[in-house]
Order: sequence, then C-alpha cells, then structure tokens
Amino acid sequence: MTAENSKNPSNGPVRNWFRGVLLDWDRTQMLICFLLVGLLALAPLFIHSTYYLGILILAAIYAFIGISWNIVAGFTGQLLIAQIIFLGIGAYTTIVLFNYYLVSPWVGLLIAGLVAGLFGIVVALITLRYGLKVDYFALFTIALMVALRTLFLKWKFVGGAVGMWFRLTEPSFDKMIFADKEPYLYIALGLVVIGLLVQYRIYRSKMGKYFLAIREDEDAAAALGVNTSLYKTLAVVIGAAMAGVGGGFYVMYVTFIEPPQVFNLGLNVEIVMAGPIIGGLGSLAGPLVGALLNKPFAEIMRGALTEGRSGSSLIVYGAFLVLTIMFMPRGVTGVLHTIYCWIIRRFTSEEPGEDQNGAA
Amino acid sequence: MALLEVTGITKRFGGLVAVNDLSLSLEKGQIIGLIGPNGAGKTTAFNMISGFYKPDEGDITFKGKIISGLRPDVVCKLGLTRTFQVVKPFPQLSVRDNVMVGAYNRTNNRRESRQKAEDIIEFLGMQDVVDMTASSLSVAYRKRLEVAKALATDPKIILLDEAMAGLRPVETDNMIDLVRQVSKQGIALLLVEHVMRVIMSLAERIVVIHHGEKIAEGEPQDICQDKAVIDAYLGEVEIDVKG
Amino acid sequence: MSPEIFFQIIVNGLFTGGIYALVAIGLTLIYGVLVIVNFAHGEFLMLGIYVAFLGYSLFGVDPYLIIPIAFVLIFGLGALIQRGLVQRVLDAHPLNQIILLVGVGMLLVGLVQFFFSAEPKAIHVPYETAVISAFGLRFAIARLVAFFASMAISFFLYLFLHYTRTGKAIRAVSQSRDAARLMGINVTFIYYLTFGIGAAITAVAGALLAPNHRMIPTMGQSYSVIAFVVVVLGTMGNFIGAFLGGLIIGVVEAFAGFYLGGDVKIIASMLIFILILLFRPAGLFGRKRA
Repeated sequence: MTAENSKNPSNGPVRNWFRGVLLDWDRTQMLICFLLVGLLALAPLFIHSTYYLGILILAAIYAFIGISWNIVAGFTGQLLIAQIIFLGIGAYTTIVLFNYYLVSPWVGLLIAGLVAGLFGIVVALITLRYGLKVDYFALFTIALMVALRTLFLKWKFVGGAVGMWFRLTEPSFDKMIFADKEPYLYIALGLVVIGLLVQYRIYRSKMGKYFLAIREDEDAAAALGVNTSLYKTLAVVIGAAMAGVGGGFYVMYVTFIEPPQVFNLGLNVEIVMAGPIIGGLGSLAGPLVGALLNKPFAEIMRGALTEGRSGSSLIVYGAFLVLTIMFMPRGVTGVLHTIYCWIIRRFTSEEPGEDQNGAA
Repeated sequence: MALLEVTGITKRFGGLVAVNDLSLSLEKGQIIGLIGPNGAGKTTAFNMISGFYKPDEGDITFKGKIISGLRPDVVCKLGLTRTFQVVKPFPQLSVRDNVMVGAYNRTNNRRESRQKAEDIIEFLGMQDVVDMTASSLSVAYRKRLEVAKALATDPKIILLDEAMAGLRPVETDNMIDLVRQVSKQGIALLLVEHVMRVIMSLAERIVVIHHGEKIAEGEPQDICQDKAVIDAYLGEVEIDVKG
Repeated sequence: MSPEIFFQIIVNGLFTGGIYALVAIGLTLIYGVLVIVNFAHGEFLMLGIYVAFLGYSLFGVDPYLIIPIAFVLIFGLGALIQRGLVQRVLDAHPLNQIILLVGVGMLLVGLVQFFFSAEPKAIHVPYETAVISAFGLRFAIARLVAFFASMAISFFLYLFLHYTRTGKAIRAVSQSRDAARLMGINVTFIYYLTFGIGAAITAVAGALLAPNHRMIPTMGQSYSVIAFVVVVLGTMGNFIGAFLGGLIIGVVEAFAGFYLGGDVKIIASMLIFILILLFRPAGLFGRKRA
C-alpha cells in the first residue's frame, strides 16, 4: 500500500479518506447508513403526502428499535425474543409522565430509557441466576410479555384495557407535539443517527468484541477472560434502554397506547425482529436497511397490491422472514458484502474487510 | 512454593468418580505432560484447574492464591489460560479478531489489542490468514489459532489440551517447535497428549493418570519403563525416547 | 364455595384441558424428535378450526366428522413445511429456527386472514346448547364429546408410539438421532412424519373446539403460549407429561377464571410458567436441572 501511495501523485487526503472508509467493511456500512439517513432527511422536499411521510417516520422508528435488538440478539446472540416488553415499558413511562405529571417528553424519553434499562437489569439477572438458556430464555421473555399485557390490562392507573390517549394540546416543541409530520421525521432520524453511532462504537470496542465472542462460543470466551455474565447483562440493558427510548418516541408519535396493541408478538415481529433479520442480524447496516425495506414494502403491499385486504402485511412479513432465513441468512447486508468483496477484489489489489457475520 | 499447586482434587459426577485425589505441581517455565488412556480424567482435571468445574474436594493454588472454584474468566485474568481439546474458535470472526479477544484480557485499548494480536499471529506464522474467518481454516491452522488465542491473554501458565490431535507428522513437528518457543518465553505448560513422540520430546516431567488417579510420575525415560504405566496405557510398543 | 361449583369448575377445566393436552402432545412430539420449539404451533390449531368451518359452511358436515379430513390435510401441510423449510434449519442457530417458524406462523395467519377476513366466525351446530345433567353438574354435550375424543385420540397415539414399528422408530429418534440412524431408521422420513403428526393432532384439537367457538385467524397465538407452558411443565418431549400437564393447566385456568375473571386468567398459567422456568425447568418428569 505504501508503494502505491508514493507512486501516485494525485494522492490527496480525499483519496486517503475514501481508502480508509471503503476498504473497511464496517466503515462502508456506516457510510451506506448515513447516505440512507441523508436521503430520508431530504425526503420531505419531494414527498408531501402525509401518508408516505408517516411510513418513513415509522420505518425510522423501527430502525432505531431494530438497532436495540441487534445489539442483544445480533451481537451477543441472546434469544431475547420479546424485546417489545421494553418498548412497551418505555412507552407507558413516557405517556404516564406526560399525562399525569406534565413532564416534557424530551425528558420523558430519557426516563423511559432509564426505567426500561432497569427492567432489563432485572430480566438479565433473573435469566443468569436461574440459568435460562436458549429456548428457555426465549419462552421466558414471551411469558413476561403476556404477563405484562395482563397486568397492564387490569391496572387502572395506566388506563387498563381502555389504554391511554396522549393529552394532545396545541403544537409545541417542548411537548413534542407538532402539526406537521416533518419534525417527527427529523427527531426519528436523530434517534437513528444516535443509535447508529452507539452501535458502531460498541462494535469497534472491547465490549463489542466480547459480545461477538459470547455469541460465537461462550465457553471459549470465558476461557479467554471474558466475564460472560457481565457482558450478557450489559447487552440486555443497553438494548432495553434503547428500546425504552424508542418506545417513548413511538407513543408520542402514534399518540395512543393499550396493552394488547403493544405487548403483542405480531408487533414484536414487525418492529423489533423483521428489520434486523431481513437487513442482516449482527451487521451494522442491517437494522436500518431492513427497516427501510420492510415497512414501506409491507405498506405498499397492504395498500396497492391487495387493495387493503386484510392479512396482506402479515403475508409479506411472514414470507420475508421465511425467505430470508432460507436463502439469505446473512440478510441483505450479507448480499451487499458479497458484492462489496467482488468490487474490491476486481478493482483494487487489496483484500476486502471481512463481514463478521458470514454464515459458515 | 510452586507456581501451580494442585492438591488432592476430586470430582464426582453422580456415582462416577472422574478424578480422585489428584495432586501435581508446576514450576515457572516448566513443561509437564499429563498422559493416560481416554476417559482417564485428564480433561476433567483441566476443567477444574481452569475454573470450568469446581472440585468436590481438594484445592488448587496459583501464585499462592486459591483459585479452585473461581470463574474461568477470573482464572484467566490471574494468568492461567487453557485451550480446548476440540478446538473452539470463534467461527465467524476473523483470525485477527479471534486473537484480539484474547489480547483484550490485558488491555482495554483497541490499538494495543490489535497490535498484540498481530504480533502473536506473526509469531505463529499465520500472517497470511490474518483476515480469514476462523471457520475457513484448516485443522492445522485452527490448532495454531487455539494457541494464539491463549497466548494473547498473556498467561503465566497454559493448559494445552491435545494440541497435536489430528495433525499430520510435519504439522506435529511444527507444533512441537511452536510449543518450545512458547516455553522459552517463560510460560509454564501443562500438556495433555496422546501422541507419545510429542510428550517425550517436550515434557520435563510426566504425570500418568488412570481411572482418575495418578499412577505414576517422573521423568520421561522412567515413565516409559514403569510397569503400571505400560499395563494401563503404553502397552508393549517400543517408544523412541530420543524424540 | 359449594361442592357443586367446585366440581363444575374441575369438569370445565378438564374439558378445556383435554384440548390443551392434544395441542401439547403435538408440540412435545415435535420437540422430542426434532429438538425445535414450534413457534407456529398454535396456527395449526387455528387451521384445524377453519377446516371445520369450511366443512360445515360449505358442505354441512359436522365438525366431528371433519376430524379425519383435518388430520390428513394438516398432516400433509406439516410434512411439507418440515420437508421444505424446517429441514434446512435443523442444524442452524436456534434463532434462525425460531424466526423461520415465526415467519411460517405469520404466513399462515395472513393467508387465513386474506381468504376468510379477520372477522370472527363461528359455526353453530344444532346440538350446541344441549346439556346433560348428572350428579348435580352440567355437561355440555359438545364439550363432553370433545373431551372423550381427545382422551381417545391421546390414547391411540400413545399406543401408536409404543406398539407399532413406526411409533417405536419415532421414539428411538427422539432418544438418539445417531443411534437410530445406525439402526437403519430413515431419520429424515421420521422428521416429516413427526412434524406432520404433531401439526395434525393440533388441528384435530382445533376441529374439536369448532362447535360454537369464536374463530379468528390470530386465535392460535394464545394456544401456542399455553402449549409452551404445558410442554415445559410436563417436561419437553414427554408424552405423558404433556397429557397430564394439559389437564392440570386446564383445571388451573378454570379456577383462575372463576376467581380472577376471563380476561386475566392467563396470568395464572404465566405465573406457573415463570416459576417452572426458574425453579424446575426440567418439568415435572425431568431431573431437577434441565
């Protein structure tokens, strides 16, 4: 590489920057993500329909929640199926704080993250203490979800079965109530950017490597000095807190919440799981790419192709999941990586950066 | 006091006594071989020493501290690392990342960890596969990767569990050289091996286990001629002691 | 609480429990042989009930007579799903297996919803309100028949598994896949068979539920969750455990429904589930620690 540099006179900082990014798959993924975010940010210039903007907003929220799940299930491989628990807790925290105590949702989001994170600690500790592995962990989270749904159905303070409506007032910034869709889009994109950065920093750090090691082989990781209990808990807590924040924003946007709506496996699949899986579980770009493919496509299917006939979005999600697992286990990002490797090999003399999620 | 003191450890699984009152000690920089028939309890002993099992009886002391019952990652942090008989790479991670996980044992810094990993990879002659995913490696390289990961944790002792199993003669020779070089760095080694040539050429002392109990201990030449050992394990085959 | 009410609750609980037992037997059979948790299991029950719906609304056939047809149809579907999809992920990461089955479940719900709409349906058979009174208790005919049918089916399945060659082959595979292979058993075929039977049995349970039962495409999900509870309670892979567990949970739910109300009775099962997962994950018939 050094020889090439000295030979080439047009070797400026820009070229070096490109080399630094494009020869590194992780960084390339981030580049792709930021380009996508940029595109979304520009969308309001071209799209004026509130319907389509609404889809993009939801896609962005889904991407953020997807990142939170990616950190737990993708990085450490823990089968925390019902991540929606934390979204629900975050959502309820935010709406209760606002409706009853007039706490600004901006603050409410942070508290939601905190509360959800605390609940994450409890879940993680119980799981570790009682050695709930693999399938049992998955079932445990589902049981928790059903239990929470039932409890919230009966809890009058949070509205019980009737649910809670967001106390809408006139639009105001500090109440996170806006007349148009655009501000919601930008907040959602802001969350996505934060999520991407957090995800990236974790991935490149010691913690990230330890997460991956735990996913690949827990015993081997322990033998190399990894405190698996600690890091598994950390992953769950980080994921839970993020999902809580995402849940808080979600409820501010949809302005309504009720237990069967939010503590629901169908919504869990749609918001939490579908995006990262289709995009590529464990990758950096997966959650965002997946969410952007998912939500709009499902909506179009629901609307255009089947004239709104019931069940079509379920068919889409189900088919997506099945097809992805069968033919594209590494998701769209995996396919992108293959193309990336081909391009790098074809046009440069370098070896492309590996994808840490290659199926064996 | 020896670097590693194993005193009378015992492990039972239900009615089966896998290891019974086993004692051995390992000095700094020493290489000790642990041999015995399959099922003799060697890996169980390793599991106890490295923290994967808790001994039912007995103690294990490392650098004067009792480590029996401590978690494996704590034991590793203290300076004792083990490899696995059936190698356990991190399949989807690159060779570099595999070793970096080990290197992070002593540092939190990414650059340091990466540098150390690359140094060790070079030391083991694996530079040409540094970017490959572990799952695509050959058996010989996987065995080396196992050693690389252990080395990266900067240990004082490495427990090598059948590092030579499945290797061709040339590869075995390379591994023997490698192990010698590791030992030269001052790291004490406890080797479990079935390939007698390896044990004879590397080990300064040999401990023989049968049915979970120590039946002999001594220098390689003496062990070869020990009647109990021959009956239990070696058989009447001639061993080339010159190795 | 008077003795009549007490026993009535038990009877109602057993009737429901019989259905749970069938569903759980199907799930535990699949788990025991294929070692995967069928996250789409409840959907097969839902399919069974919709097959009954079709049979009745199109051809006027009584749901109980539909049972053999439902069995065959869903058996075929189950075997197909196993062959085409599940077979490929048997050795993959559990997360992939779970996601695949969740996806299949979603597909099935979506398809049913597409063709039948999400509106609740029901079939009303002439005898749906018929009741027998005995010992001071009331037995709804439809549920009584369903109960005995589920007992009989469980019994015959048990005989099949223990006294026929194929049944023994299935049990062999559940104990050791490799040993079974070495004995000349076509393990892959057993997989198709088992998944098919597991799905079909559950569909039969659905058909048994059909008379006067509210049918919506998403009804399978709550049965999936109950099936998980029962199977874990009865020890994963254990036939008798699933059978007894189903009855136990049925009765527990009946009492919970009486004291807490219908919409929250599930909490009792969830509590039991969580307690079992924490303190006795191997279930009633397993060793202390799974």
